[in-house]
Amino acid sequence: MTSRRTFLKGGVAAAVFAPAIASAQAAAGKVVVVGGGYAGATAARTLKTLRPATDVTLVEPNPVYTSCPFSNSVLANLREIGQQQFRYDGIKRTGVKVAETSVTAVDADAKSVTLADGSKLPYDRLVMNPGIDFIWNAIQGYDEAASQKMPHAWKAGAQTVLLRQQLQAMEDGGLVVMSVPANPYRCPPGPYERASLIAYWLKVWKPKSKLLLLDAKDAFSKQRLFQNGWAELYPGMIEWVSLSKGGKVTAVDPATLTFTTEFGSHKAAVANVIPPQRAGAIAAQAGVADRTGWCPVEPVSFESTLRPNIHVLGDAAIMGGMPKSAFAANAQAKVCAAALVELLAGRKAADPILINTCYSLLAADYGISVAGVYRPDKGQLTDVPGAGGNSPLEVVGGFRGQEALYASSWFRTITSEVFG
Amino acid sequence: MRRWLVSGLAGALLLAGPAWSADVPPGGPPGASSCTGCHSGAKIADVVIPRIAGRKAEDIVTFMREYRSGAWPSSVMGRIAKGFDDQQTQAIAAWFAAQPE
Repeated sequence: MTSRRTFLKGGVAAAVFAPAIASAQAAAGKVVVVGGGYAGATAARTLKTLRPATDVTLVEPNPVYTSCPFSNSVLANLREIGQQQFRYDGIKRTGVKVAETSVTAVDADAKSVTLADGSKLPYDRLVMNPGIDFIWNAIQGYDEAASQKMPHAWKAGAQTVLLRQQLQAMEDGGLVVMSVPANPYRCPPGPYERASLIAYWLKVWKPKSKLLLLDAKDAFSKQRLFQNGWAELYPGMIEWVSLSKGGKVTAVDPATLTFTTEFGSHKAAVANVIPPQRAGAIAAQAGVADRTGWCPVEPVSFESTLRPNIHVLGDAAIMGGMPKSAFAANAQAKVCAAALVELLAGRKAADPILINTCYSLLAADYGISVAGVYRPDKGQLTDVPGAGGNSPLEVVGGFRGQEALYASSWFRTITSEVFG
Repeated sequence: MRRWLVSGLAGALLLAGPAWSADVPPGGPPGASSCTGCHSGAKIADVVIPRIAGRKAEDIVTFMREYRSGAWPSSVMGRIAKGFDDQQTQAIAAWFAAQPE
């Protein structure tokens, strides 16, 4: 710390006696941020706020961002899709340049990205937030065209609206079938929240209907809390089929809404396929994705371990114990932005601590949560022992109602911090 | 004269800035930046989670200790507080206490 303080004092002397040199130093630093979801939007505005002299460009093709968190509430008619949507005006006001286009290539050696019109944007540091892409045909028959019949609704927007329309058009007594992938994938408890909220809506509007969850794994996030809640709120309505009971879907037929598993087949009235995933395609092109399809990073500034000067955040990155959640992406982005302030000034970033808190709703007034605290250990973000965990299984009074209120409070706060 | 005053003021601010921030990383001490995911930095309507910016450091420390021990009941804060020792908690509390209320 002594050396840093000495350095800073030197910086002050330079600023007082040679303002021109100081401003040239302060202006140094071009950072390009690719992708304007929770991770990218947070990284861009936090860096610009912490270090206004930095030239920060956020490259994002969509003028409107549609949030996945709380999109399951849209399926249950508790929210409208418009309430999930955010623009980039607040980010522009912080001084971030927003380029409404996509990145077609990253040249890690030349330190530049190529935009859709062929122009190149140089960077000193690149922050990639490519999110997820689906591995089409990993489930035989499930490709982009099939998603128009059997929506994934795992990137929120038109797909969310389509699945809601299908649920609303379904006859009472229809079977809703969901296919859930093996780990890792975006939002580990998300499929089970979705099943809960669809059941919440069915119970009122189509009470003779049932929901079948076909799962490619034998255990899932907040499992006992979900299963206890289903028994309490929706007895007999949700059936979960684990991997070892034949839950893994190997093929689908979009024409007949049929799911084929290792043990048999199921015909649905409404079909939701959450397909296997990997980091968004630009990650592989940039050379920051490994053979798993995801992006390994170091745990202090989340710089790629495969390409220097490229940082990867959010769902695309392998973050050790930290799950793929919007809260985590936002927390990682703030840590990355602070680290970039140090790295751009030629200093070393200090070890961070990060928190994740993730709420799931089982009904409008019934929430559960998982939390964790993480720090770098042996090159990985690792759970701080003794911290974190799920909501208690046994609770009194309005505990679940209170967590549902905290969930919506969190959503308002984080979307205000990121997009407000 | 006016120019001298302004540059003198700027100089004072520059001197004050680094002296205060020398030991604190940009964006706050370890852990602090995660808190604002739930505890809003800005004043916004319709939230039930309280803001902590501008609260007294000793109050934040007391809450965190009681959450950690379970003396003060909580949903998620007990689970989070257990991830921070006294020194880390004090640094975070001092950081938020120094933010505008």
